[in-house]
Amino acid sequence: MLRFIGRRAALSLVTLVILILVIFLLTRVFPSEPARQLAGPFAPQERVDELNETLGLNDPLPVQFGNLLADVLTLSFGESFSQPGVEVLDLVRPALWNSAKLVMFALVLTVPLSILGGVVAARRKDTLVDRAIVNFGLASASIPEFVSAVIFQYVIGVRLGWLPATTLIPDDASIFTELRYLLLPALSIVLVYFGYIARITRAGTITALESDYTRTAYMKGLNTSSVVRRHVLKNSLQPTVAVTGTQIGYLFGGLVGLELVFNYPGLGNLILRAATAPDFPLLQAAVITVAIIFMLSTLAADLLIAWMNPRARLNVGAG
Amino acid sequence: MLRHPLTSIEDIPMTNWRLLDRVLRRANPIEQDLVEAKVRGSITRRDFLKRGTVIGLSAPTMAAVLAACGDSDDSGEATTTTGGSTAGTGPAAVGGTLVVANQFGDANTGLDPVNMLDLGTYNVLSQSFEYLVGVGPDGNIGDTGLATAWEPNDDGSQWTFTLREATWQDGSPFTSADVAATMDRLVAKNNAALGGVIGEGAVDASDPATAVFTLIEPNGNFPVLVSTFNAQALITPADYSDGTTLDERPAGTGAWIFRDYDPSTFLVRFDRNPDWWGGQTPLDSIELRGFADIGTAVTAMQSRQIDAIQQFSVIGGEGLLDDPSFNVLTPPSSNHRQVWFHVNEGQFTDRLVRQALAWSLDRQQMVDTLFSGRAEIANDHPVLSSLPFFDPDAVEQRSRDVEQARALLAEAGVESITATIQSGDLQEIPDLAAIIQQNAAEAGFELQVNVQSNSTFYGDSWCPADGTDEQPCLNADEFGIVDYGHRPIPDVFFSSALASGGVWNSSNYANSEFDTELSNYRGAIDVAGQQAAVGRIQQILWEDVPAVYPYFFNFLSGHDASVSGMQATALGHSILSGASKSA
Repeated sequence: MLRFIGRRAALSLVTLVILILVIFLLTRVFPSEPARQLAGPFAPQERVDELNETLGLNDPLPVQFGNLLADVLTLSFGESFSQPGVEVLDLVRPALWNSAKLVMFALVLTVPLSILGGVVAARRKDTLVDRAIVNFGLASASIPEFVSAVIFQYVIGVRLGWLPATTLIPDDASIFTELRYLLLPALSIVLVYFGYIARITRAGTITALESDYTRTAYMKGLNTSSVVRRHVLKNSLQPTVAVTGTQIGYLFGGLVGLELVFNYPGLGNLILRAATAPDFPLLQAAVITVAIIFMLSTLAADLLIAWMNPRARLNVGAG
Repeated sequence: MLRHPLTSIEDIPMTNWRLLDRVLRRANPIEQDLVEAKVRGSITRRDFLKRGTVIGLSAPTMAAVLAACGDSDDSGEATTTTGGSTAGTGPAAVGGTLVVANQFGDANTGLDPVNMLDLGTYNVLSQSFEYLVGVGPDGNIGDTGLATAWEPNDDGSQWTFTLREATWQDGSPFTSADVAATMDRLVAKNNAALGGVIGEGAVDASDPATAVFTLIEPNGNFPVLVSTFNAQALITPADYSDGTTLDERPAGTGAWIFRDYDPSTFLVRFDRNPDWWGGQTPLDSIELRGFADIGTAVTAMQSRQIDAIQQFSVIGGEGLLDDPSFNVLTPPSSNHRQVWFHVNEGQFTDRLVRQALAWSLDRQQMVDTLFSGRAEIANDHPVLSSLPFFDPDAVEQRSRDVEQARALLAEAGVESITATIQSGDLQEIPDLAAIIQQNAAEAGFELQVNVQSNSTFYGDSWCPADGTDEQPCLNADEFGIVDYGHRPIPDVFFSSALASGGVWNSSNYANSEFDTELSNYRGAIDVAGQQAAVGRIQQILWEDVPAVYPYFFNFLSGHDASVSGMQATALGHSILSGASKSA
């Protein structure tokens, strides 16, 4: 298992370096001049040239990339271009924490609900219940989260007044108040991911239910509940875990529309502002943070699968 | 001495000459001209009040003149409530916090009073700092700022402001030295409104209670240029260096003391200033909350998560406009869009081509579709028709005439023009660009629309980096749309965007006749003189079309019905010193 963990971690690190390279190159594609942005539109060209030198933007690209890797290793991304004097990490940290709260809350709602839906649909395969769950999942997953967000916001927040329509959370809010403010955005996420995760769980469960080891378990005299809990779920949930792991990275940085609609100060909103400013250090730091989360959540999912299924670690170990 | 130009007493029945004589004996020549214009009936009561406020006539004097003219009743147009706040439904309460949805400020400038460029930041900074000349109850300038009175010399080349007894939040006294230092900072930064009006060292601060401005040339509207309507002209302490931000160094003479600022959410909070010269504010504190998206701010307002909204648009704001428990504030507004043409380079150097495009536009369609009628059609100059010196007979109103447009293109020897409209992604501007594209297509223009993020647009298309310090917009793209915020008089629109060498002159327009008329307008001390110059300016711009001005649109702000006493300006200021919230 240790060898497996080591290999997975090494692979993740290579992936991360490639991701950082892609991010580095993408931020250099922007038409705007960072030094001009920093100096302001009316600053003299000499000031811009001076800044280019100070920021190392005149260095060859490989040198600049090396500097960026060193920044990532030392967690030192420097000052924001758009907010001089403010450390980039001081802007990323609260946004990351906000995104983490929203994502965790959404996952706490989505994962059990989706697994339950998937298992029920599999056990009632080809019945009305199965078709209802599958079709509802398909329909809900096809609506982007920011669209359902606007509908929830208007109907539940504005017309009915049941829940806060935006996430203007008071400073002294208790955890329950905070969750109340986060419920509408979380529900928008649930709607998209329920269908996705439930269908994967359903497929895995059907395969597991039809496998030899399930038949053997029944023949041993176990009741259905024990069979599902002890034999079916452990096997059928592996794809669910893998999918959930990869989606966490997206949820941290990809909810730009949703965060904008609810005025939620998460990573998505931060990335959008950094890209439109444009604020290159902030943009790089925020996107690299998402990349690291993506890497860690995928790694965690792999480890979980390996723990659930010893064959998985043997395959990687042999590879 | 009294010098009235009337030939016959029958011209003005009901005039109380004795009262008028008393007023005129004390008046300087500029004031005499205005009083005479009112007596002659050549300006309306409303214009008299507006202009009287600009030149520093006191309220009792204006009332005396109106009484002398038999015009003292309070009906109709006395003090418009536009720009003020309608009363709340419940009794006003003392205490509490008012939450205002605020435009997300430009992070590039931060809370910097001298270098700020956006409405979100204007609103924040003006809570702690104050202007020399404030806003009156009618939404125009008034003595609610740091000057209690002002008056010009005989030719309008020197203006004397009597300063209020006020203190900075650290307890030190506010003096004319603060005014002088502030003005020097603004001049050094090429402030758009003060450029060419005052130079360094313009303020004589020898008397701490009086600030005497000596202008480069006479200017009959000078108080407006140091008022709320020159947003950067906030008075800061004498030792407040350029680039200092409010969060770095909290200060001010205003009603609110800065508490904290979260740049990631653009949330800024203030507490009541117990030593404010205006007395105790009804509210304990205020919160300005940043919203990157106006639609989300509207939703927050509809669900009453906030008490007031700094600004919203007609499109997307229908829910608020139809909400009986929401009070809409529509302060006087000359907000507009300028569709500029580079007149020296590219395909729009021939004015016939520019005229052709102007004739091809359906302005009524723009007003109807973009603003549901809450806008006024403009006529290719930046002079609002409600201004006292607007000349209604100067030029005919342009309305869509595709045949005329085609004929002008043919006369210019051009079959078709292929060009790109540069636009920032701001409010209705991309939609305006699309309408222009469609309208102009029928006349032979093949236009592409390039919508960029607003900051990219400003830095790359409107004022690219390779301009000069004096004229940063020198190398603007050949064709684009830029936004101009409200000014109560068009001086900045003229001097910055259209005068030779103007700081925002993206058209690169240079017309000596225009410059002369601008100088005449600025130097005119009476409405008739201003109107003569402005009428000519209207004609010159209409003929030359360095830019198309399609409309002026209403500025929309507002608050829940439980709020009263809030005032708004079309430059995004939410004036909250008198605001209260009922339970």
